[in-house]
Amino acid sequence: MNTFIRKLNWFLHSPDKEAELRAELQFHLEEEAELRRTDGLAPQEARSAALRKFGNVTLIAEDARAEWIPVWLDRIFQDLRHGLRTLRRDRAFALTAIATLALAIGLNVTVFAVMNTMLFRGFPLVHRNDRLVYIQEHYPSGAGTITYLDFEDWRAQAHSFEGMAFVGEKNISLSYAEGRSVDASAFTISTNTFGLLGVKPALGRDFVPADEASGAAPVVILNHRFWESRFGGRRDVVGASVLVNKAPATVIGVMPEGFDFPTQFDVWMPYVRGSEVTQRTPEAFLAVARLRDGINLREARAELETINRRLETAYPATNRGVVPKVDTYSQSWIGPDAPIIYGSLWVAACFVLLIACANLANLSVARTVGRWSDFSIRIALGAGRGRMMRRIFVESLALTSVAGVLGWWIAKWGVRAWAIKTASIYQILDYTLNSGTLAWLVAISLAAAILFSLAPMGRVLQIGVKSALKSDAPGVTPGLRGKRLAAVLVAGQMALATVLLSGTGVLVRSLMNVVSADTGVRDPENVLVGLLILPSEKYPGPAARLGYIDRFEAKVRAIPGIEDESVASNIPVNFGNRRTFEIEGRPNPPDGADAVQFLSVGSDYFRVVETPAMSGRDFNGGDRTATLPVAIVNQSFAASYWPREQPLGKRLRFIDRKKPSDWLTVVGVVPNIMQGDPTRRQFKPLVYLPYRQATTVLGANFLLRTGVPPAQVAQAVRTEIQKLDPDVILKKFTTLKASFGFDPDRMDRAHSEMGKYAAVAPIFAVMALLLAAVGLHAVIAHSVSQRTKEIGVRQAIGAAADQVRTMILREGMLPVAIGLVVGLASSFAVNRILQSQLVGVSPYDVATMTAAPVVLILVALLACLIPARRAMNVDPAVALRHE
Amino acid sequence: MDRDSVSRVELLQGTLDLLILRTLLAGPTHGHAIARYIQRVSEDLLQVETGSLYPALHRLEARGWIEADWNLSEKGKRARFYRLTRLGRKRLVAERSKWEAFSRAMGLVLNTAGEEGH
Repeated sequence: MNTFIRKLNWFLHSPDKEAELRAELQFHLEEEAELRRTDGLAPQEARSAALRKFGNVTLIAEDARAEWIPVWLDRIFQDLRHGLRTLRRDRAFALTAIATLALAIGLNVTVFAVMNTMLFRGFPLVHRNDRLVYIQEHYPSGAGTITYLDFEDWRAQAHSFEGMAFVGEKNISLSYAEGRSVDASAFTISTNTFGLLGVKPALGRDFVPADEASGAAPVVILNHRFWESRFGGRRDVVGASVLVNKAPATVIGVMPEGFDFPTQFDVWMPYVRGSEVTQRTPEAFLAVARLRDGINLREARAELETINRRLETAYPATNRGVVPKVDTYSQSWIGPDAPIIYGSLWVAACFVLLIACANLANLSVARTVGRWSDFSIRIALGAGRGRMMRRIFVESLALTSVAGVLGWWIAKWGVRAWAIKTASIYQILDYTLNSGTLAWLVAISLAAAILFSLAPMGRVLQIGVKSALKSDAPGVTPGLRGKRLAAVLVAGQMALATVLLSGTGVLVRSLMNVVSADTGVRDPENVLVGLLILPSEKYPGPAARLGYIDRFEAKVRAIPGIEDESVASNIPVNFGNRRTFEIEGRPNPPDGADAVQFLSVGSDYFRVVETPAMSGRDFNGGDRTATLPVAIVNQSFAASYWPREQPLGKRLRFIDRKKPSDWLTVVGVVPNIMQGDPTRRQFKPLVYLPYRQATTVLGANFLLRTGVPPAQVAQAVRTEIQKLDPDVILKKFTTLKASFGFDPDRMDRAHSEMGKYAAVAPIFAVMALLLAAVGLHAVIAHSVSQRTKEIGVRQAIGAAADQVRTMILREGMLPVAIGLVVGLASSFAVNRILQSQLVGVSPYDVATMTAAPVVLILVALLACLIPARRAMNVDPAVALRHE
Repeated sequence: MDRDSVSRVELLQGTLDLLILRTLLAGPTHGHAIARYIQRVSEDLLQVETGSLYPALHRLEARGWIEADWNLSEKGKRARFYRLTRLGRKRLVAERSKWEAFSRAMGLVLNTAGEEGH
């Protein structure tokens, strides 16, 4: 150990030690010479005799040094010093290489981190996420929730799990000491949930089983975020009394910072099984369970399916056709196609890295050739080839190390940008970069260093001693093999770029199809929309809320520049709620009622969205709770249910939990407006109800048609809302057009993931294209500079400039053409994988498959033409004198 | 060649370390003096090659058996002086008894072999 420290000390003080060693040997030499002089030799002779006796000073110094430092390590440091010196001389190359690699590595690590988060990380702070499964039930009607009693049967009967917890959902109002009331969202969970997840409260205690017993004192645990914003992070909050829906409850704990489960909510409460849970009706969100050791997902799934089949026999009325859905984190929260989406994104990022490596390989082959004479002389003098190759590798390693560090920063920012850009309130994602990501960064940096030093290493191997001695001039051509290697690399880059371009092309077209789909709304850019959050303490029921909305409408309609105004339970394109219904005279079959979307809208709604002529009448101020219940249907509804009949005057009713509502008379039929189709391809049947006939609490969205640019009135609208009641919160205030844009929360899960993909894929494609072009340019430029003499000769013997250009272009475009063919063929295979995600575009979309090669050819031509022009301008006289 | 041509004994592997340690027992001194001392005391039979001397000195230093610092030589020049450490003293004792056992064993075997030859 001591020895090691002494060696280390030597190593750290190396430059001093080197000088000391030299001085020591010098002293010996002088002493020896002195001795000879006293023997009677002339000073000069004495010196040379001493030197003769002494031997090779450098060698001795090296041997002495070797006692301290292992030789190989010393050599590597020599190589590193040498490499850094050469790189400093060749700054342009070093900077290009570092920039290219840093970008490619940064992009790659970003994608890796995102993929890791989406597929494997799961919820933040949770222990062993990979062993957790999320369970819902699938009903014949299509809904995905679960039944508490089914959950209890699973918990009692299933053996695949270490534990199983139940997660419900509830909106509550919460008020605390200062008497202020806030709306809070709550999850009701079984008391074992946090224990199952392996997360302890940061403050206070966890739930205990006694908390969920019927009649137990109500308790709540706060989300850290909520605790900080509403309770100012006060530690004495534990034990404090709050009012939950006006009933007293005790705060018993605060969860750690960053913990959210299963979506962003403010408060957790124990799920207390009330007396109302007597029927097997779907009522809650999901169950979470931890797999027992040695049990895999398939086995767990099979066991629950068996249990559900038993339940089906026991309770046919409620459980017929109810199937359990047992999913991993990514299947449940990201989407069933997440592995394909993020896997292919990751492959794309690796393509970009490969292209970057190919570029650098080409560049460093060119450099190797430039240093040909240097290498040749060294080899002729007896330098080992191994040493030369190690030198090349150490140089590459130095470059990739710098690039790796920069790449880490790029990845940090990239992941943050992605997280902000794609944030969805329905997904809790842990994006912190972890050791796995760091390991991946190191691995790809190393791989990149190896990949891009292989080609120049291969070139060095070809140097023979004889050829080294023969070739003296810097104009040595790289030879046929070197050129072929460069051509193969260019072709490969072009193929990869083609695949990325065409894949991105269809994805972007697909996203455009969604974003710019016809919604049936005229000029949505002139419609302002917003959501009003009314505190439920102040506006407890529909009547109070409608009272506010009446006042709101009166104020807003008075703002100059606003032409029409309406409220609605939701805005166009967003999801409407679905309810089962029945048409008068057509009773539903006993098992299987039709469900339809409905939307409650105020009078003037159809004026605001400017639907063309409707038949029948619009809702009006007279459609209130006391008057005849009415409905308006869209054309799609009329066409599906009354294809050859007049819908006006027909009646239908909704059936909620087997209880039918009053009959609603159809008073109007309106043209279709997009609602509830995430991919925006279909106008689904839709029933409109008068907003003021609603007996339940509805979302308060307003729509304002403006006669002036919306930005001019936006502030006035804000001010009016603030003046009317400062407790009312305005959210999602934007134009209707903007609300149609890409928003992960507005699309269904599978397509929203694809939408994120389509939003970043162009970055990859453009990078790949640029890198490939830069690579091609470098190869051609290098080839031209190597062939200056040849071109000069050709021109001297009468070749026209055109012919020279053709020659250069042919050299450059041949590998491009080969790459294009290979790339297009691969695209067909790759795009097929994307098929299920594409909206309104074929994976083999002709326009994309034509445009991608055309763009590529144009860029490649440009990359070749720039050096070709230089070749055409070669002055034969200068070229010939060049040697 | 002058006095270098005097017949001399090749140093056995590992014996140089012992000779250096023994030389330093007399007091700190520099590399050149060590070489000269060994040569003189062995009546010019042992010639220490510079090529082995300095690597050996550095090896012993790296192992912590000797220490070095810069001092003025008898002629007033800066020289690197080596000094035995406590560890080196112990090492010298061990090496020395090992060597004595070895040379006694060599002598016994060689002498016996000589008698049988008659």
